[in-house]
Amino acid sequence: MVLVRNLRPPTEGVRHEEANTTAVLSGQQLGCGTLYVAETRLSWFDGSGMGFSLEYPSISLHAISRDVSAYPEEHLYVMVNGKLDLGFLDSSNGDEEEVITEIRFVPRDKASLESMFSAMCECQALHPDPDDEDSDNDFEGEEYNVEEYGHADVPTFYTCDEGLSSLTQEGQATLERLEGMLAQSVAQQYHMAGVRTEETKAEFEDGMEVDAAVAEAGQFEDADVEH
Amino acid sequence: MEPEAVESATVGVEVVNSIRERTIAENSMVVLLQGLQGEVTTVDLRDESSARGLVLNVDAFMNIRLKDVLFLDRRGQTAQLQDLFITGRNVRYVHIPDHVDIMKTMESQLAKIHRVRNFAGEGGGRKEFGGRKK
Repeated sequence: MVLVRNLRPPTEGVRHEEANTTAVLSGQQLGCGTLYVAETRLSWFDGSGMGFSLEYPSISLHAISRDVSAYPEEHLYVMVNGKLDLGFLDSSNGDEEEVITEIRFVPRDKASLESMFSAMCECQALHPDPDDEDSDNDFEGEEYNVEEYGHADVPTFYTCDEGLSSLTQEGQATLERLEGMLAQSVAQQYHMAGVRTEETKAEFEDGMEVDAAVAEAGQFEDADVEH
Repeated sequence: MEPEAVESATVGVEVVNSIRERTIAENSMVVLLQGLQGEVTTVDLRDESSARGLVLNVDAFMNIRLKDVLFLDRRGQTAQLQDLFITGRNVRYVHIPDHVDIMKTMESQLAKIHRVRNFAGEGGGRKEFGGRKK
């Protein structure tokens, strides 16, 4: 999840792009470049093709630092969970096990820090923790919008009798109404026996088929119950 | 008018919750943390560092936004941060201030969620069953 590659800067879903931004990786200055806060990853490139990308799940936190006593310039601080190694960096920090990497993005335009920060917040929110043990995220309650989440997780459609017991009172009423409408339209079918049509009635003998094309206009007017 | 927005009484930060986030929050203790908006508290991180500041927002994934933060890194060095976003995954503890009534906070957060949900259901928003009621 911590990527170090010569990728091209992201072109899609870039929430914020900040040029003239110096990157400081674990205390080492990488020079001036452009920061791309994209929905898929956070990237920085120096214009010559050198740069790095970070996956949001690997970022522990990010912050705006305006405390010049802690660091001489106002910047966007990013703490990465893991070790970011760019090869040419001197990573001989002794025996200490470095499990985090600190990156500072120092923009020339300090006024951009708020936007940079907010853009990162938005992108982070797009990458919730996949390892979250709380898998009890059922979508219960009437608020659940079937259209929005049309996947198989939620058993909203029943096709056999077992579903009947799951019907609410409202659902039961609707079912009865629909069945009533169906029964009514079937009854109309038999009524039409006397109407002259081009096709033979024998085709529709089972009574279940309602050929709308055959019906005269207005035949099913009363079937149009209040909607 | 944004029926999806849950107002924060103390801090003027607009919080937009998705249906999914509201459902997750409603079913977990994170509602308590969401009720801490506007409070100053300490968040302990998994790597032993900690951050103390004003809670701006906590989302259903426990991502926490703090303002005017005193950050104590794991080496014991302090730094002041104007704005801090902590990924939910890295939170170990969130201190609940002594003066906060836990039950009341959770009840009021749940009430907010239900208010938003009922607003979306009455008249506005679509119902799954188009039938008439009582």
